[in-house]
Amino acid sequence: MAPVPCAICKTSRALIIRPKNHQKLCKGCFITIFEEEIHHTVTTTKLFSRGDRIAIGASGGKDSTVLASVLKTLNERYNYGLELVLLSIDEGIKGYRDDSLETVKRNAVQYDMPLKIVGYDELYGWTMDQVVEAIGKKGNCTYCGVFRRQALDRGAKMLGIKHVVTGHNADDVAETILMNLLRGDLPRLARSTSIVTGDESSEVRRSKPLKYAYEKEIVLYAHHKKLDYFSTECLYSPEAFRGSARSLIKNLERVRPSAILDVVRSGEDMAKLVPEAVTGISHCKSQKVSLSSADGEEEGAAGCGTNGRSSGGEMADMEKKLQEDEEASSREVEITSKVPNGVNGQRHDRIGAKPESRNGVKREPGKKLTRQTLGTCKTCGYMSSQDICKACMLLEGLNKNRPKMEIEIDVEDEESSTLRRKMEGLALTAA
Amino acid sequence: MAVVDVAPSDEPLQYFCKSKCFSQYVTTKAIKRMETYRVRGSIAKAARKLLFPLSFGPSSASLLYILDQHLQGQYDRMNRAAYELIVVHIDLNLEAADRKQSSELLDQYKSRFPRHTYSSLGLEDALLLDNIDWTALNMPEPLQNDSKNTGMDKLQQLVGSMPSATSKTDVITTLLTRLLVDVAKRNCCESILFADSTTRLAEKTLTETAKGRGFSLPWQVSDGMSPYGIGFNYPLRDLLKKELVIFSSLTIPPLTDLIILQGPSSHISASSKLTTIDDLMAQYFQSVEENYPSIVANVVRTSSKLQPLSGDETAACGLCGLPVAEGTDGIDGWGGDQNSASRASEQQDGKHKVLCYGCSRSING
Ligand SMILES: [Zn+2]
Ligand SMILES: [Zn+2]
Ligand SMILES: [Zn+2]
Repeated sequence: MAPVPCAICKTSRALIIRPKNHQKLCKGCFITIFEEEIHHTVTTTKLFSRGDRIAIGASGGKDSTVLASVLKTLNERYNYGLELVLLSIDEGIKGYRDDSLETVKRNAVQYDMPLKIVGYDELYGWTMDQVVEAIGKKGNCTYCGVFRRQALDRGAKMLGIKHVVTGHNADDVAETILMNLLRGDLPRLARSTSIVTGDESSEVRRSKPLKYAYEKEIVLYAHHKKLDYFSTECLYSPEAFRGSARSLIKNLERVRPSAILDVVRSGEDMAKLVPEAVTGISHCKSQKVSLSSADGEEEGAAGCGTNGRSSGGEMADMEKKLQEDEEASSREVEITSKVPNGVNGQRHDRIGAKPESRNGVKREPGKKLTRQTLGTCKTCGYMSSQDICKACMLLEGLNKNRPKMEIEIDVEDEESSTLRRKMEGLALTAA
Repeated sequence: MAVVDVAPSDEPLQYFCKSKCFSQYVTTKAIKRMETYRVRGSIAKAARKLLFPLSFGPSSASLLYILDQHLQGQYDRMNRAAYELIVVHIDLNLEAADRKQSSELLDQYKSRFPRHTYSSLGLEDALLLDNIDWTALNMPEPLQNDSKNTGMDKLQQLVGSMPSATSKTDVITTLLTRLLVDVAKRNCCESILFADSTTRLAEKTLTETAKGRGFSLPWQVSDGMSPYGIGFNYPLRDLLKKELVIFSSLTIPPLTDLIILQGPSSHISASSKLTTIDDLMAQYFQSVEENYPSIVANVVRTSSKLQPLSGDETAACGLCGLPVAEGTDGIDGWGGDQNSASRASEQQDGKHKVLCYGCSRSING
């Protein structure tokens, strides 16, 4: 069979079928168009200004490595005038980050970029290993998750940098859109679609220049550019809603390759249709959602790797919650109602949830909407929907050498139900 | 809360024991959504006309049964009814033998529920609509009559020209909606009563999202006036598909003989080339419905909260007819296109026709 010529240069032999649109390209043209598309994203969204110092959240994985490589290339090719810095987080788990941090260190040399590794000890005064020592193996995942959400921003702040870029790709964004539809969270859906999060009030902005780049193309780019990255499969199953959305996205891509982009497009359009009143709060009563974009891990974050999470539990918990809500609101309906046996006995009360929000006035989800205001943590000054941010709450508990119980767990705590059970267990043993 | 929701794992036998209660639950949920069509006051007013698309599936069969009883109740109490149903079956089959079967089945409906007006059309009748931009589909305008080809041939040709299975299904769905709106208008109906269950509306939410039609969700899942100038109502929006399937077997006599069951699994093909996005979502929600029925309902509640953009200049999509905000038509020229040249070149050719993102994707693959 005659070799197929590249669809762009028409001279070289096509070796790559673009995952995004099945265009047949030669290696050179693929690399060029991949870079040019990101340049297009950067310029049309006016992501950077000349002289900006940008921290690249670097984990050593494919996404952030490709991001660093492409930004370096574009910064030189188009004279963006950016100062690029690699920023890595060390959770302080012996052995866990060793390989990936080594990769990031090599990247720093390869790309000639300064590297800053910030440790949890430096940020919080506790390494994860110390946390585990203090509270035991159970439940430490939540500490890690809460700490991690702020770590990049706090790290950037330490460096005096106002803009962190992360390697989130189109697959991550599409997955988050479907996930938030499934769990009925329009505010989060709306926020996850914008390329930049954090407004004027935030000290550190976050953006995702790879927002429109397909994961498969990122892998191809890394492969053909022979980039040095640390490939690690996450051993832990994602939270149930995310896992569900992830497999949907994979199936959709198989059926129609453009579907990932089409979902992103839908999400951007839907973000404009979210009514003002909804943007401040989730549909789910008593599940507070903070307005802060920075403290919510929006896309495809990996687990901290120290503790597996239950898969499916989140969906079951939400199902139960929704059924209880509906049950409460249908009591007045003239139908023989039957309360499922045992439900009252096994209610999942949220930790420290105020009684009024629990037994609260009957509220049909989504009908009555209250607004939540965004403030800053009184202890650390970090954006928070509560007086004291979650990280500070946890720290306070740790510093008193016991877990802090009075925490309102946000919906973004994917592990919250697990944590709840574990904390309940802890309370018993501690007593 | 109904028995079924409380214990989804109940044995079918238990359902039968509670069947009366369950049937009443289903009926109440549906009738509650028909509040606006109560008989009011003592002065007789002309009955409001409502179009009732009958697909022969369990949901539309159940809804017809429920509304037939509802109307009977109104006659019994008030000696008049607040509304009348114009039942229409749109035949999607392209084979003559299948069509004969459909018309026989429709006759069975007529004899079981004789009080309503019935009619039947083939989907090819949509090709006669003059408010669709046929040039976008490479089709001749309806008036350019070429006698060689029948409507069915032309429809087959049109569907065959679509680049993928998903696009085929998409264009069929679109033509179906547009034809229904046309039939409703010609029959002076004020609304169309769609028998979509919660499960179906959840499927639709994710299907349209996956097809790039997120912008259209406010008109796809909510009750009220549609952009076509006719009301869209979903009286079964609070019921799960599985509840309706059970309900249809509990009526006396059961509706089973009147129903053509089309499980989503029958569409799922081993080859991804033949699988559609619609199939994927149907299959997905069938499984979610099993264990997490409230999550299905919550998806619909969530997408129903989306509000149409107000104040923006819009133009109707040449195919689906939904309002497209200025500058957001087509699949080119948005952030994800990443090609600055594409939109400019498109606009140069003068007659720039508006297609929404989703329709444009379906036609262009
Ligand atoms: Zn080439
Ligand atoms: Zn704080
Ligand atoms: Zn359209």
